[in-house]
Amino acid sequence: MHSRFYLSLLLVASVVVIVFMWLATDRELSTEYENYQAEYKDYLVKNAKDEDARKRAARIETGIRQVYIPALKKADRCTSCHIGVENPMMAGVGQPFTTHSGNYLKNHPVAKFGCTICHYGQGRATNKKEAHGGERGVSHWDYPVIPGKYVQSACGRCHDYKMLADEGMETIVLGEKLFREKGCLGCHKVNGTGGDLGKALDGIGSAALHYFSMGHVKGDLTAYNWIKQHFDDPRAIVPTSEMKVTVSEEEAVALTTYIFSMRADEVPSKYKLVKNLPVMDRDGASLFQMYCGGCHGDGQTSIYDEVFGRTIPAITGSGFVNKIDDTTLRIFIEEGRPGTQMTAWKSNAAGLKKEEIDKIIGHTTKNRSGELQQPFNFREFTSDVGKGKALYTQRCAFCHGDDGKGGGRKLGINLKNETVQKMADPEFLAMTVRDGRKDTPMPGFGPDGEGLSEQDIADVVGYVKTFGRK
Amino acid sequence: MNLLKPWALLLALALISLMLPFAAAAQQEELSEEEEEAAWLAQVELGEKYYNVNCRLCHGQKGDGKGHVSVIQYAEKNGRVLKTYPRDFTSGLYRFRSTATGCLPDDVDLKNIIKGGIVTSFMPPQEGISEEDLAAVAEYIKTYSERFEEEDLCDVIVASRPDYVASPKSIDRGKVVYNNMKCWECHGYEGTGDGPKAADIKDDWGNKLLPFNFITGALKRGSTPENIYMTFTAGLDGTGMPSYEDSLDEQSRWDLVSYTLKLMGLTKPEEEKH
Amino acid sequence: MMNDLNQAGLSQFKDNLRSLKDSFLGSYGRGGKPTSDKSRAALMFNNFFLHIQGVKTHVNTLRPTYTVGLGLISLFLLMIAFVSGVFLMIYYNPAVENAYNTVKDINFVVTGGRFMRNIHKWAGEAMIIFVILHMARVFFTGSYRKGREFNWVIGIVLLILTFVLNLTGYMLPWDQLSYWAMVIVANITGSPKVVTDIFGVTQFFDIGGFQKELFLGGLNPGQESLTRVYLLHILVLPSAILAFLGVHFWRIRKDGGLTRPETKAAEETAGADIEPAGKKGGIFPTYKTYGLMELAKGKTPAVDNDVENTVMSWPNLIVAECAVFMLTLACVLAYAFYIDAPLKELANAAIPENPAKAPWYFLGLQELVSYSAFMGGIVLPVVAVIGLLLIPYLDREDNNVGLWFTNGQGKMVAFQSFVLTAVGLVALLAFVINFGWFRNWWPGVPQLLIILINPGNLWVLAIMGWSLFTIKRTGSTRMGAIALFTAAMVTFIILTYTGTVLRGPNWDFFWSQSQWPMH
Repeated sequence: MHSRFYLSLLLVASVVVIVFMWLATDRELSTEYENYQAEYKDYLVKNAKDEDARKRAARIETGIRQVYIPALKKADRCTSCHIGVENPMMAGVGQPFTTHSGNYLKNHPVAKFGCTICHYGQGRATNKKEAHGGERGVSHWDYPVIPGKYVQSACGRCHDYKMLADEGMETIVLGEKLFREKGCLGCHKVNGTGGDLGKALDGIGSAALHYFSMGHVKGDLTAYNWIKQHFDDPRAIVPTSEMKVTVSEEEAVALTTYIFSMRADEVPSKYKLVKNLPVMDRDGASLFQMYCGGCHGDGQTSIYDEVFGRTIPAITGSGFVNKIDDTTLRIFIEEGRPGTQMTAWKSNAAGLKKEEIDKIIGHTTKNRSGELQQPFNFREFTSDVGKGKALYTQRCAFCHGDDGKGGGRKLGINLKNETVQKMADPEFLAMTVRDGRKDTPMPGFGPDGEGLSEQDIADVVGYVKTFGRK
Repeated sequence: MNLLKPWALLLALALISLMLPFAAAAQQEELSEEEEEAAWLAQVELGEKYYNVNCRLCHGQKGDGKGHVSVIQYAEKNGRVLKTYPRDFTSGLYRFRSTATGCLPDDVDLKNIIKGGIVTSFMPPQEGISEEDLAAVAEYIKTYSERFEEEDLCDVIVASRPDYVASPKSIDRGKVVYNNMKCWECHGYEGTGDGPKAADIKDDWGNKLLPFNFITGALKRGSTPENIYMTFTAGLDGTGMPSYEDSLDEQSRWDLVSYTLKLMGLTKPEEEKH
Repeated sequence: MMNDLNQAGLSQFKDNLRSLKDSFLGSYGRGGKPTSDKSRAALMFNNFFLHIQGVKTHVNTLRPTYTVGLGLISLFLLMIAFVSGVFLMIYYNPAVENAYNTVKDINFVVTGGRFMRNIHKWAGEAMIIFVILHMARVFFTGSYRKGREFNWVIGIVLLILTFVLNLTGYMLPWDQLSYWAMVIVANITGSPKVVTDIFGVTQFFDIGGFQKELFLGGLNPGQESLTRVYLLHILVLPSAILAFLGVHFWRIRKDGGLTRPETKAAEETAGADIEPAGKKGGIFPTYKTYGLMELAKGKTPAVDNDVENTVMSWPNLIVAECAVFMLTLACVLAYAFYIDAPLKELANAAIPENPAKAPWYFLGLQELVSYSAFMGGIVLPVVAVIGLLLIPYLDREDNNVGLWFTNGQGKMVAFQSFVLTAVGLVALLAFVINFGWFRNWWPGVPQLLIILINPGNLWVLAIMGWSLFTIKRTGSTRMGAIALFTAAMVTFIILTYTGTVLRGPNWDFFWSQSQWPMH
């Protein structure tokens, strides 16, 4: 009466349905964490010290374990697999059963803190791949489990660095120190203070994965690897980077750790424990190191920098500070040097307070000696621009270039720069040409140096001044 | 190349035949020793004039490399700070020679450097210099060292590049040489100039030197295979870089050139693949 | 007495108990066991769910190569999606701060949750494919005629509902895909603004801005948008699709079941694997030698055949339907078992996906949108829908209904149209990809010109022209319709493929995703 075709189709399809129902049920019933829990239970039963312990172990129920912490907006199911993390018996048993290292859990009980507040990873996930994340683009989770070497980054979110130093959290303490001393703030803003050459680093530690361009990262495509490898070699990760950094492996790890303590999501204040007030009042030397040292180093020598393609001048040597008065120096610092990498540091730009700039000026000019430079009476001379040009081509173009722009493997500064043309009066320029600039490659061309006459100098300065005209 | 040879020969013959009358004229004008001495003095004076304007800034009045500019510091992209000391002419030690190690440089070597400059170390090229000035400055510089009066000149080494340079096989052989000769002790395993002994190198004046980082930048001498070969053969006198003329046969040196080119990223990728 | 009465009552109770099964089933099916054609017929017309179908079914309907079961498969997919959707609703919470987490929990914690979510997702997306295939089947067998014109219109409405249901579902998990799909859709709904801007009437008549705000409930995707999308997905659109489906089926029934070829039915169906009903067939008792002759079309009574080649719906049709249902379910389960529904990172307004792609079934449109948001996102889809709606009214030739491609000429026209469209469109895309369009040649060109002249518009005009040319060439509106519909289908497939596979970051061309520059 009916079609054999449809009947057999019905039969086959039904069998397939049953098979997949069964497969799905089977997959549902034998999860990763249940297998681990069974293993854990067996281990406890086998190694029980007495009958009581054995009975207790036998009564352990299998199922998802989770720590739900509304205050932190966390539901961490890590203990479903890492089930022995609070059990001292499991010390030295392999992962995922092993006891938590150190005595961290004493003050940070799992029930109150969960796991992902320190270790990150996807707390809600119930399988390793998705909970740990971090494989090449598989898990779609922005914060994979942080590698052990950077895990101290979490400490910096709740505790002060003095306390961490006392507790022996060396990595992050070193990271924080290096962050200041390597002059990172010279180019990067944090909390509104810092230079504008690099990107602001607020919340960088919790930036989503897509924020980082992973084209050149080796290994797993995680933010951890990005930051670490960027410290190792900035231009290997971002080819156009102008970042100047030379750090050892240990320092790179410490800085990476510190970077990941700068997260946008604040820990609730009741989770924080700050024993010492942060250092607010830094002296001129530290401020100089924090904001200027990244490029100028100690400021004692001029260095031609391949990344910037120009010479970074010495600014603390007597050659500079004897020539410049505090007012001019303040203008340089506050307004920056447009056309160069020098940031404007005033409070509504890079965010330095007036007192801080005062201190930096104080530190910069500490080598100033009382000796006055012989003034150059520029007005007594009439400059012959034509002669000046000939002299310039002969004596200055080596370093400043025929066009006066410097740069590109030329040691001299850009004489066409607006600031040079506007700020520097002819007397100042003439004095510099005559006496040179100590601590920089600029030699004195005057009678005591290369032997140009004052008239020659006036001619050259007259010519250089024409660069300002357009 | 082979096709060009007959033409080159013809051209050379033509040139020689053109020059013969001049050569004959030159022979006729034989100068007396005194006259020669006077000409030399005039030349040196001309050289000094040029030197004072163009060279003294860095190399100093005494030619000891202590001019007003003094030491130049230079930060590589990887953060290494290199210091450049202007050449001290009084020692008569020159790095970029085409003569065997320990020898004085040939006039051509000096002239090449004066004219071409050493861009990587801020020695500017003298593009517009006249032949006369060039010869004069070279002659003047030589007066700073007594070696030029005391020592005889050595033969010029000629580098003729074999075809296999930069071939994959040659690169592989060069890598073996690089490892065997312990180049990595200074230049690093990856050629980045950070080998285990890199920190201890000093030049003959006691200044710290950093070994060349093949990954960044060009060689001071120039990055042609011939120049690299010359470095291995003649050595860089006054620095930690010795001559390998005796310790390596010619093929090994050329293989090392191949590997160096590879480290500097100057070999073509297709060549590497095959 | 009392005892006897009691005895009688008890035995009655025992009998009732004994015959419980039969009486229950009898009351359920109203006609007892389906042992005769009469009871089989009763089973069909007494059952609420089955009575939408005839008591008897034409053999052509059961011929697998005629319908390929496409409409049924679409219906079953919808049923699967409904059931799994209710399951997901138990756990899903449509709040911006919870939505993503609840979807994660469905994946990680709910027993069978991930499987159910996969089933829901894939059943929904499969619906798109099968609804379109069903539409193609109906079109190519000419089944939109003879009173079925309006049912075709309802079918188009169902197609649109299927698309929108899928799209709204895509937006619910509140991951990056949801968020940026929402942004794209919002931008498309807001695109008329470009046109009103050009004419300077935006301040009086900002239809684009209004649409966008109506959809988002604000200026950016947020809680309001999620609530709207959720409401659409679980209440408004399912109700609508059920209502329209009811009408769709009811009209099929009223139109006399599925279409079938009028002539050559016997030959056409001779090879079908359907046992003829035989002499004993018919709804009349076999022991009767007389009775009302059945009312039949045709000139002579069909010997050894049931009325017009029909067979009893029970069990022939029901078995076939069950088989198709099981097959559908089996495929969905298998696919859902192996392939997980995507779930990307939490929605993040600060980090645009690059490329920000709509779900795959809209990528053909997005390709057009990349030429002009207003034309590609609004005008061309509307033109396409209107074109589909008008087909049965502009082509009124009703010969050869129920035959694939109508006749040999129809097959030829479909083949020509297929080849021409494929070659022409690939050539056009290749041109645009290699040489760009007006904006690349003359950067200052006014936007209005691009809106009016862009590859999408030109292409639509071209296939319209091709259709008119076919009508002129063949003298048949049906041939024109075949040319147009084939071209539209091929266009949809090629554009969807282009948008899905060949477009990478910044909507640039790549042969495959593996060539995308790593972000």
